[in-house]
Amino acid sequence: MLQCIFLLSDAGEVMLEKQLSGHLVDRSICAWFWEQAVSLGDSFKQQPVISSHTHYIFQVFRDGITFLGCTQIEMPPLMAIEFLCRVADVLNDYFGTLNEDIIKDNFVIVYELLDEMIDNGFPLTTEPSSLREIIYPPNVVNKALSIVTGSNSNVSDTLPRATASCIPWRTSEPKYSNNEVYVELVEEMDAIINRDGGLLKCEIYGEVQVNSRISGFPDLTLSFTNPSVLDDVRFHPCVRFRPWESHQILSFVPPDGQFKLMSYRVRELKSTPIYVKPQLISDGGTCHLSVLVGIRNDPGKTIDSVTVQFQLPPFILSADLTSNHGTVNILAKKTCIWSIGQIPKDKAPSMSGLLVVETGLERLHVFPSFQVGFRIMGVALSGLQIDKLDLKNEPGRFYKGFRALTRAGQFDVRS
Amino acid sequence: MMFPQFGATAESLSKASTAVFRIGTDAHLYDDPEDVNIAPLLDSKFDSEKCEALKRLLALIAQGFDVSNFFPQVVKNVASQSLEVKKLVYLYLLHYAEKRPNEVLLSINYFQKDLGDTNPLVRAWALRAMAGIRLHVIAPLALVAVQKCARDPSVYVRKCAANALPKLHDLRMEEHASAIEEIVGLLLNDHSPGVVGAAASAFTSVCPNNFSLIGRNYRRLCEILPDVEEWGQIILIGILLRYVIAKHGLVKESVMFSLSSKDVGNLEEDESHIASKEDSIYAIDKTVSELAKMIFQCYIEGPDEYLSRSSSTKMVAPKLDASQYTSCSNDVVKILLQSTSPLLWSNNSAVVLAAASVHWIMSSKEHIKRIVKPLLFVLRSSSASRYVVLCNIQVFAKAMPSLFAPHYQDFFICSSDSYQIKALKLNILSSIATDTSMSLIYKEFQDYIRDPNRRFAADTVAAIGLCAQRLPNTAALCLERLLTLVRQEFFCGEIRSLDGEEGVLIQAIISIKSIINIAPSSYEKVIIQLVRSLDKIKVPAARAMIIWMLGKYCSLGEIVPRMLITVLEYLAQCFTSEALEAKLQILNTTAKILLCIKGEDILTVRKIWSYVIELAECDLNYDIRDRSRFLKKVLSSNLECHHGEEANSESEKINSGETKALRVPSEPIDYRFYLPGSLSQLVFHAAPGYEPLPKPCSLPYTDLDRYDGAAKSDSDEEDTDTSGPLDEESASDYSSEQSITASGNISGSDESVSGNEAEDNADPLIQISDTGNVCENQNVGATSGTEAFQDLMSTKSLESWLDEPTKSSKQSEIEQSRVRRSSARITIGNIGSRVKPKCYTLLDPANGNGLKVNYSFSSDTSTISSHLVCLEVLFENCSLEPMVDIVLIDEDYSKSSDSTDQISSPTENTLKFHVDKPALVSMEEIPSLEPGQTANRMLLVRFHHHLLPLKLALFCNDKKFTVKLKPDIGYFVKPLAIGIEDFRDKESHLPGMFEYVRSCTFTDHILEVNKGSNSLTEDKFLVICETLALKMLSNANLSLVSVDMPVATNLDDASGLCLRFSCEILSNSMPCLITVTVEGKCCDPLIVSVKVNCEETIFGLNFLNRVVNFLVEPSVTHL
Repeated sequence: MLQCIFLLSDAGEVMLEKQLSGHLVDRSICAWFWEQAVSLGDSFKQQPVISSHTHYIFQVFRDGITFLGCTQIEMPPLMAIEFLCRVADVLNDYFGTLNEDIIKDNFVIVYELLDEMIDNGFPLTTEPSSLREIIYPPNVVNKALSIVTGSNSNVSDTLPRATASCIPWRTSEPKYSNNEVYVELVEEMDAIINRDGGLLKCEIYGEVQVNSRISGFPDLTLSFTNPSVLDDVRFHPCVRFRPWESHQILSFVPPDGQFKLMSYRVRELKSTPIYVKPQLISDGGTCHLSVLVGIRNDPGKTIDSVTVQFQLPPFILSADLTSNHGTVNILAKKTCIWSIGQIPKDKAPSMSGLLVVETGLERLHVFPSFQVGFRIMGVALSGLQIDKLDLKNEPGRFYKGFRALTRAGQFDVRS
Repeated sequence: MMFPQFGATAESLSKASTAVFRIGTDAHLYDDPEDVNIAPLLDSKFDSEKCEALKRLLALIAQGFDVSNFFPQVVKNVASQSLEVKKLVYLYLLHYAEKRPNEVLLSINYFQKDLGDTNPLVRAWALRAMAGIRLHVIAPLALVAVQKCARDPSVYVRKCAANALPKLHDLRMEEHASAIEEIVGLLLNDHSPGVVGAAASAFTSVCPNNFSLIGRNYRRLCEILPDVEEWGQIILIGILLRYVIAKHGLVKESVMFSLSSKDVGNLEEDESHIASKEDSIYAIDKTVSELAKMIFQCYIEGPDEYLSRSSSTKMVAPKLDASQYTSCSNDVVKILLQSTSPLLWSNNSAVVLAAASVHWIMSSKEHIKRIVKPLLFVLRSSSASRYVVLCNIQVFAKAMPSLFAPHYQDFFICSSDSYQIKALKLNILSSIATDTSMSLIYKEFQDYIRDPNRRFAADTVAAIGLCAQRLPNTAALCLERLLTLVRQEFFCGEIRSLDGEEGVLIQAIISIKSIINIAPSSYEKVIIQLVRSLDKIKVPAARAMIIWMLGKYCSLGEIVPRMLITVLEYLAQCFTSEALEAKLQILNTTAKILLCIKGEDILTVRKIWSYVIELAECDLNYDIRDRSRFLKKVLSSNLECHHGEEANSESEKINSGETKALRVPSEPIDYRFYLPGSLSQLVFHAAPGYEPLPKPCSLPYTDLDRYDGAAKSDSDEEDTDTSGPLDEESASDYSSEQSITASGNISGSDESVSGNEAEDNADPLIQISDTGNVCENQNVGATSGTEAFQDLMSTKSLESWLDEPTKSSKQSEIEQSRVRRSSARITIGNIGSRVKPKCYTLLDPANGNGLKVNYSFSSDTSTISSHLVCLEVLFENCSLEPMVDIVLIDEDYSKSSDSTDQISSPTENTLKFHVDKPALVSMEEIPSLEPGQTANRMLLVRFHHHLLPLKLALFCNDKKFTVKLKPDIGYFVKPLAIGIEDFRDKESHLPGMFEYVRSCTFTDHILEVNKGSNSLTEDKFLVICETLALKMLSNANLSLVSVDMPVATNLDDASGLCLRFSCEILSNSMPCLITVTVEGKCCDPLIVSVKVNCEETIFGLNFLNRVVNFLVEPSVTHL
């Protein structure tokens, strides 16, 4: 079980330490960690499990903050990693964003949260809704109150009822005048297009996000018209397994507010909505680069926020890139980003330019991959369709809303 | 972006708007916690001011300052009614409780009061704080509190009670162990899933082998599993798996069984290769199944068993017989699989992996496929979990490639993957590739070779080589690609200017070499192509390998022999400009060709040979000069006598020798695997606390606890039967009716114990007396201890507070243990004179111009300083000339002491000496040593560390030799002569974290036992005692305290034999107690469990390791 959690800023400063067991972990381990991180660079930072001389360290990196968990004994490593991710999620949820200053400014809440989330190295309360009732998130009213009166308490006096029920994710009876449920399909398209332009892999990773604002204890069922397209699924703990196993129906008592009901995967899609054709011709110490982007399969809705991003190979000295649409920027670490926005109807956007190769090199022998970004509102490219959403136990009227969104996930085009 | 860089900050936005956002937060408290005087605030009347003060203290803790000096003031505030103040006080209190034990006691009353509060939150917090304080003094109170809270109406409080149990268990209150386990059982039986999850976690840390608790509730636990919280699920899945294996054994239809027990004849049945029965495929299948066998064996086998097995000469693995298998139609197994399979849909990747592991081990072969998709889906979660899952998939894929073979596309690389993930995917791809998928995978590999990360490109090239070896049908294709690559690489200009490019080229040639090695005759053209490209390839390592290949395959086919002369001439020409490795290979290759060449070419080759040798003999590098002389000598004799056969054999030898030296490990498989989903599997060593699967069917089958356990099965029976790690505690409880004991002391080498002298008494003396008293005394001590705490609270109030008394059950247990303990104590005579310390070589006569120096650790201790270790050093002149002025000194002590200063971390200061002192007390010089003469010197050495060798300088005839003195931790102690009562007393003060146990196999006695097999059985025990004692005393400076023999047990069963040794650490005089307990039959290898009790944890652990190592090591005959 975890013995200690440290939160490190991106300068390596220990912002918080929370000891969890009787075996105190000296914070010198963070100094050791940071030394290694500085001297070994990326390869060390990308290692989620590290064994130091005295401890095993799990690291999760989120928004400039490094979460370190230390232990000396055998424990499931994924449990530690998932827990640290959960801590990051909860903090993000509480403060809206996550950065060094936010942690420092709200260190008392962070301490209280950590103390509630883990006891003796074993997770205690990790359900966001229960946590919100034990420790209040900071909000404008609280802040204003603290300025005026100089005092405010963010610790609840009573235990949320949810901790006692067998549905710990549901807060104690919320009351809404308008009962409403919004269901959104958020899909990410992962694709790999190889050098010859062949579509190697194209699949959808999707999430069903629900925002439920219903009074009482609603029992909802959600069904799809074509559940057979789903290759694999993962569920929020609220989903009952039996109805899914027998009829592929999602039956659940939702948590209050926004949550991720399920995630799914649809494999082997036949095509992508847009095409990106990079071409690199290298000869005589230079390299001519051109990238063409266009619509391959019109999804029927506008495709926007189209970006193409790539890393210039290490042997490139300079790059002069221009585009006929959108802007081209070269950022730190030789990252080049071409923001196209919406694809115009009349012309195909293209970017071209000359890369100067390091002297002594005749031609380029390594080629970058292009990461493509796009967003399509109103369409779920997997073709998954929601059939109906029913409220079982409370027959009152309620408003249902459905939305869909597809964006690019790990969309790689190799050159 | 998956990996935002550490350097990138999100400050741009936040900094600008900081001023606005920070108002109303605790920002000012974190930035300047000490800008006001904290102490008066703590005494304030207002909760808000107290809060502020406590927040400031918390900020200081967060920033790493020690603010424990505020402890008394903070503790007072525990009485506050404000929950926020309470929470903050608890946070502070728990951080410093261990530092300020006395002040903490002030708060106990308030906790007790809070425990009776109507608000469950208050009760829970009080319980958490009370158990979290971790002081022995209040542990009994905390236990009572937990007992009460375990029956609390609030789920949250019961959950906290479950979490409190490991905290109490950490304190190692042996007398309360059963009470704690009882609560674990109670909470496991709870109707709320949340409590069960926490109880499962308590179970693993408190009593992971008390399967009777699980057996009672097995079916219910399986049913409740999907409703348990995710974290509890992870733990509970593991417990259920262990229980089923311990109770019912492994599943016959599982992959584990079918792969590991598959014999050679059945191989054709294996999935994909039914059609082709070529030898190589056959071989690969065989290695796969061998690997699988290895993996599964590792799952069951603990690290100690593994070590003892690999150290013994025969590598025979313990066979599992059919009775240890069950079928998956068994209800118990079925329920387990049924209840875990929906968990494969869990949102928490740790749960998915835990459930997948159960199926991997228990599921039948047909159903195992269901773990594949969920595991692959988990790859889409955070990059950290992706890495962990891939590490586990890697092992699955190696053991059963067919499982993941259809899903090869999921392992294609994305540009956002980190290098570690890329490397893992590549590795998996190369182990699951099939003949059909290879063409696509291969195309994919071609893309990877153009990746900007050249290290990854080199890995890809290696993977191509691996695939070609696994799938011989694709070898030709792979080889062609590799050759084009080799050609391409040198076209791209001056290759040395590019980092990593070299690596790709070298890897390409290594891969080519390994492919050729499969079927050299069919790749003759490849060899020719490579040799032709020699003048273009500039990388020395690559050149060396090509040249080596020329020598290796010089007589292959038709064309190669014809081009030899030309190539040799070319090589001889550029010899001087070559790098070291290429030069060496030119020498070797020329020699090889010289040996196997026939006909008229031989003269030309000889000419080239002598030319090359001439150049090599005056080379600047001594390696090349040596090699040339060596080869010249070897070859000259052969060439003169023209014995073809002999020459051939010689060349053969050179060939084979080189193969060994140059062969690249095709795939680094470390032959040690750990359970899927464990930390050990990721770090490649057994992390402390790692437990392999229990031995199949190690639990006896009782009708009583047949998975519903209607009746409360008597835990006593189960207790005695649980094997394994519990042994250390129950070792002394081996039962017998009589209570016989002999008092007696056995003197070690130092004759420290007077009184019972048994010098010439060859026959051992058995004295029988009563140990019953001792045990009784102990028990009385224990009970009086519990009484002591009861004084703290009035007994009445305690009992009224607690619903039922638990005393009676405890009493009966004590009585039981009193009956069980029995053994005879014996004395072993004159063992001191038979102790022969081990002798080490300090300087070999070959290296020391004929001076031989041996040393052994002496049992004497220095009178000058306690930090000095005594050594006996024996100098012998093996040369023909006299030697003068021999002295051993520590030349650069100042330098070395500096470095130790850096090395030694604060935790390793056990034997850290004053660094300003030399490591050696100056040795008396030996003025002269005649040939054949020996001289003895006593040396006092100050080792800087108990594991690191010491560098010394030895002067002889004004010549300096650098020698290394290896420390032996066994002599960093001196004998401590104590009696058995003293021993027991000291032992009882060093429980818990000061106690370390390991077991190993001991075989030394077998020879001796067999030698005297005709004599009485009584003697067998003595022989074992003697060999064991002798082994211990010969390897460490100990004093033998007692030898306990089991009485009236099976005559051939040595179990229960127990030897106790004691010593104290030289540097700080802390006692160190060693208990050696034997298990097994007299004539078989014995399982010896060694327990060390020592306050210096690191020293103790190292010492234990040393003891185990020398016990396992077969002895040099001291017959």
